[in-house]
Amino acid sequence: MSILAKRTALIVHLALQDLWHERKISFCIVASLVAVIAPLLLLFGLKHGVVTQLQEELLRDPRNLEVRMLTSASHDAEWLNALRQREDVGFAVGQVRSLNAQADLYTDARQFLHNVEMIPSAAGDPLLADLEAVPQSASMVLSASAARRLDVSAGEGLTLGVNRRRDGKRERGRLDIRVAGVLEPARYSRPAAFVDSQLLVELERFRDGRASETLGVTTGIAPGDTPVRYARARLYASDIDVVEGLVKALEAEHIDTHSRLAEIQNVNAINRLLGLIFRVIALTALAGCLASMAGAFIANIDRKRQQYAVLRLLGLHKTGIALHVIAQASLMALLAFVIGLGLYAASAMLFNQLLGASDITTGIAARLTPLQLLAALALTLGVALLVALLGVVRAFRIQPAESLREL
Amino acid sequence: MLCVHDLHITRGQGSERHAVELPRLELAAGELIAVVGPSGCGKSTLLEALGLLLAPDRLARFTLGEPGRDLAALLRTNATAELAQVRAQDMGFMLQNGGLLPYLSVRDNISLPRRLAGMAPGSERIRHACATLGLDALMNKRPAALSIGERQRTAFVRAIAHEPRILLADEPTAALDPQAGSRLFGLMTSLVEELGMTALVVSHDRQLVADFSLPRLTAELTTEGCRFVDTR
Repeated sequence: MSILAKRTALIVHLALQDLWHERKISFCIVASLVAVIAPLLLLFGLKHGVVTQLQEELLRDPRNLEVRMLTSASHDAEWLNALRQREDVGFAVGQVRSLNAQADLYTDARQFLHNVEMIPSAAGDPLLADLEAVPQSASMVLSASAARRLDVSAGEGLTLGVNRRRDGKRERGRLDIRVAGVLEPARYSRPAAFVDSQLLVELERFRDGRASETLGVTTGIAPGDTPVRYARARLYASDIDVVEGLVKALEAEHIDTHSRLAEIQNVNAINRLLGLIFRVIALTALAGCLASMAGAFIANIDRKRQQYAVLRLLGLHKTGIALHVIAQASLMALLAFVIGLGLYAASAMLFNQLLGASDITTGIAARLTPLQLLAALALTLGVALLVALLGVVRAFRIQPAESLREL
Repeated sequence: MLCVHDLHITRGQGSERHAVELPRLELAAGELIAVVGPSGCGKSTLLEALGLLLAPDRLARFTLGEPGRDLAALLRTNATAELAQVRAQDMGFMLQNGGLLPYLSVRDNISLPRRLAGMAPGSERIRHACATLGLDALMNKRPAALSIGERQRTAFVRAIAHEPRILLADEPTAALDPQAGSRLFGLMTSLVEELGMTALVVSHDRQLVADFSLPRLTAELTTEGCRFVDTR
């Protein structure tokens, strides 16, 4: 061990022995710190728990991410692509008509469903996120009510039928299609089918009088390559926090929207309010803690003036004195943090049991992430260091000659 | 071993002004000199100046050791780090109230100056001094558990533990009853002689100094303050 390390160890050891010798006073200082740390950890844990719970509830329902366009226009594919490129857009698929397209679904004459909503979908659709099934050209995802009324389940086949009138003649297009999956009832309440957006385009073109190989109708206008134009888009934000920005961006394009922005803003307001309350309480507590610890610590140094003077006389440099003071403050802060953490853990356990017992509060829990705990530790050590610096300034004024003078 | 010529210090301002003079002091290894004089004449000031804790106004010569290290030059250039090093290495201080650290045992108090100087905590000299002073049974006790006499003996061993060239003691027997004071004085003089150190011991107890027929550095009042004269 180098001389410097040896000396450092000696000084830290001296600081420890001093603290232990005056353990009653040390304990008072530690206790005053614990009295601040433990309630603050609990308060912050609860705030974080409540807000996390609310945000998780928001995130669990993809409808909260939805931005429904109310204004219809005629947009080109480039518009849709630009929309998809936006960072705040999680999912966007074009809708050809302003109203949802409709089609009949049936397995036989008895299991027949008229005019089921056809909703365009694609890979990444948030509504289908927990299904892992994506509608392909010959498969679709049914809403729960549609599946129930048709009495089909995932993997079974059915027929899709569309009617059109051309030159006063009724024509019917048909497509055999497979059920790729069935949505949970909560996801979509009406009978609906989520189909590949290309298929929807095909259905619309058929209705406009074009011939369609897919639907088995060869009469009509030959299918050309006219570019698709979109009336609207099914649009989902990439995150709860960007819904607002997305809504504003669309408003700038003169597109009116409907979204759950109000609910999101409620949660954010609660988060902000709780954050503000917490910060005010924390600041007050911190100021009090700083003042009380600084007072106790500096009084302690004043009381031990002669000891510091003797240490200086025996050859301890100012850096050594600083180390001695800082070591004492940090050790007490560390001890206070460990005790505070223990108290927090115990009370959080009790709280969580009580919260879990009630239906309304189920899911709400006091919780802190390791990063937050690390930040709390850093803050505690920061307070200790600040107090120690005040102490060091005080201790630096003590001259070795003071040990010779009578007290 | 110790040689001081024409040391002059003033403290305070205006009517509080007090000058302390030491025209000449030379001590050989093993010599102990008592500094005597009335309260407030400047004995502690003299000790602080010789302990490099106070910058003098005038100092012709100040050397310590064989061959002597020029401390006057260090004081003149105010080389703080070197002065602190000389103080920690070559000087031993024995304080009026002992100045022991309450949280350390007798053993740790004694070994502290050695450990701060990077030396091994124990030495033959310490074992010998502790045995002579009857501290062996007290090594694990804290200062609070000791009598005043025991504390002063511990303070003496701590002052010489790092083998300094000079011991500066400030009224070490002030708090002791005459018998205990006399015993400590006897032990100090014999150990200083035995170990070949030099020592300055401030004492207002003329009787004690006379009993041991110690050489004296006597305070003489001057118009400005006080002059210390080697009355050997």
